[in-house]
Amino acid sequence: MKKIEIGHGSGGRLTRDLIEKLFLKYLDSNELKPLEDAAYLRFENPNIAITTDSYVVRPLFFPGGDIGKLAVCGAVNDIAVSGAIPKYLSLSFIIEEGFLIKHLEDVLKSIKMTSEAAGVKIVTGDTKVVERNKCDGLYINTTAVGEIVTPLVIENISDGDAVIVTGTLGDHGTAVAIARNEFDIDASVESDCAALSGLLTPLFDIDGLKWMRDPTRGGVATVLVEVAEKTSLGIEIYEDKIPVRDDVRFISDMLGYDPLYLANEGKAVVITSHEAADEILNKLRLHSLGKNAALIGRITTKHKGVRLRTKIGGERVLDMLEDDMLPRIC
Amino acid sequence: MNKSENLIKHIHSLVPKDRKVKIMNVCGSHEHTIAFSGMRSLMPQNLELIPGPGCPVCVCPESDIINAIKLSKRDDVILVTYGDMLRVPTQQGSIRAEGKNFRMITSPFEAIAIAKNHSDKKIIFFSIGFETTTAPTAAILEMGIPDNLYILSSHRLTPAIMEILVKDADIGIDGFIAPGHVSAIVGSNAWNVFSEKYGIPTVVAGFEAENLLLGIVDILRQIKEGIAETTNVYSNVVRPEGNTQAQRIMHKYFEVSNVNWRGIGYIPDSGLELKSEYSARDARKVFELKEVKEEKIPGCICGEVILGKAYPSKCKLFKKACTPQSPTGPCMVSQEGSCNIWYKTN
Ligand code: SF4
Repeated sequence: MKKIEIGHGSGGRLTRDLIEKLFLKYLDSNELKPLEDAAYLRFENPNIAITTDSYVVRPLFFPGGDIGKLAVCGAVNDIAVSGAIPKYLSLSFIIEEGFLIKHLEDVLKSIKMTSEAAGVKIVTGDTKVVERNKCDGLYINTTAVGEIVTPLVIENISDGDAVIVTGTLGDHGTAVAIARNEFDIDASVESDCAALSGLLTPLFDIDGLKWMRDPTRGGVATVLVEVAEKTSLGIEIYEDKIPVRDDVRFISDMLGYDPLYLANEGKAVVITSHEAADEILNKLRLHSLGKNAALIGRITTKHKGVRLRTKIGGERVLDMLEDDMLPRIC
Repeated sequence: MNKSENLIKHIHSLVPKDRKVKIMNVCGSHEHTIAFSGMRSLMPQNLELIPGPGCPVCVCPESDIINAIKLSKRDDVILVTYGDMLRVPTQQGSIRAEGKNFRMITSPFEAIAIAKNHSDKKIIFFSIGFETTTAPTAAILEMGIPDNLYILSSHRLTPAIMEILVKDADIGIDGFIAPGHVSAIVGSNAWNVFSEKYGIPTVVAGFEAENLLLGIVDILRQIKEGIAETTNVYSNVVRPEGNTQAQRIMHKYFEVSNVNWRGIGYIPDSGLELKSEYSARDARKVFELKEVKEEKIPGCICGEVILGKAYPSKCKLFKKACTPQSPTGPCMVSQEGSCNIWYKTN
């Protein structure tokens, strides 16, 4: 068994084989092992957060991650930024006929590692196989559930609040762009793909934590424009405070991308009260994933929408970009 | 106080108090820096920074694009050109939407590689742009190109369009920021005509906001002193005589011609075509291309935008029907186009 065949998704013997010999080798939670139609879950807390997402990234493997790690991190992060602790995860695979089993195994290994590190259990799953050329190798869908500790709703945000990012911006977008080999650039850039539950849960009990979001597709700018629209408040961002890695800055300049609009897969935008900003920054910076956390802006009532205060002291509007700079980034 | 703050203070103190001052840039990268640094928000009220004809794909005539689309439909042809060019709209669609055999390249050298790898096809390099892209095209001709590679030249000369601009009283330009990359090739002396013949202070500047501010300061200084000079604040890159080697090979292969600028019209001696000695490489001659009549895009005011007579926001289609995702006019396509830049920063 070297390659995935149509029969692997038929629900018959081949499927059974694939699940028992491969999937269960890496995914072995007690909830999953009975292979029943549904998993029974236990919660200590009746308040549950749930999220779902599909992953179609191209290429499937990139420096700093792969589609499996991305799928786990994406689901975990969506739960964590909602003020909840991620607990359980479902995984659905759509695999193209002819996909190398070895690659599937690599993805599963990375799912195992990432989910264990993030403390989430994979409790249910599904596998479908489609004919050659009907999908691009492998797509993954995940659903995650978590227990709510502190509900973070956008209405919490008010004038004077601080806008914090947990680290450098645009790493994932740049990494994937380069990994596609479409540009004549001889460099390798690491994605920031990481599960943020360990970084963010310690913030939950800080008074003044108001709202969080993981800025994936569309980047931080898109998240902020959404916040400004939904709250009818203004946001002022300071260009010289935005953390960007040197390699990301160099390459995005070259390609004409703006890191503010590039995808991140291991970062959060954290909005806090003015008073709590320092405590939150300090806590973030204690964690290896939050070393470069920075306060990049403020909520204001002086104007609506998002405005960037530039390095030379000028001002310009930050708007949502209509053109998807890089499709299939996650 | 940091350096930019100082320069901005300087600009405020130098600007004449009693009249409007218009400074035009003629380079998409300059406009990019100005818009993205929010420079306009820091200028005195009576000082206008106007984007001019700095976007090469914006002025490329519709006729050439339509011919490129037609050529790409031939089974024996692969059309190669720069990425932005593929998306420029015409009455017959864009190369990307309507063309058949086409490839994007980032440098003319890739055209050679494609020609070598497809010796059974005719490779047509749709070579567009100002002096900065003409030089590399001349360079591959000088190196020697494969027999199956042809050039569709749609090159334009920056000084020629600037002369049209200074003569237009409607615009009323008080100073030019001359383009840094173009200047590296043609040399800062190429702009002397503007200060000497037309009395317009002209400064060659680079692409950092600070360097541009320095250029603006120098234009205002000249206005205040009542003089007009051509100066260079980008002298670590631009020499007075420019890149003479590049100039020599450009003149060897190309000669000036009367050409159409999209949305603007025909301007004498403002474009470059291959010299007749190289007709065998000239796609226009080899494939007997016919001029297609240009049609105005309803509602699009790109012509006025390029000439600095209107800001993009004056266009009724701006941010409505016309967006970077589906551009109605050429100025919305490339990152050097004023409408595209405006879309992202205003
Ligand atoms: S906004 Fe679009 S239609 Fe209007 S002038 Fe610019 S490119 Fe033309």
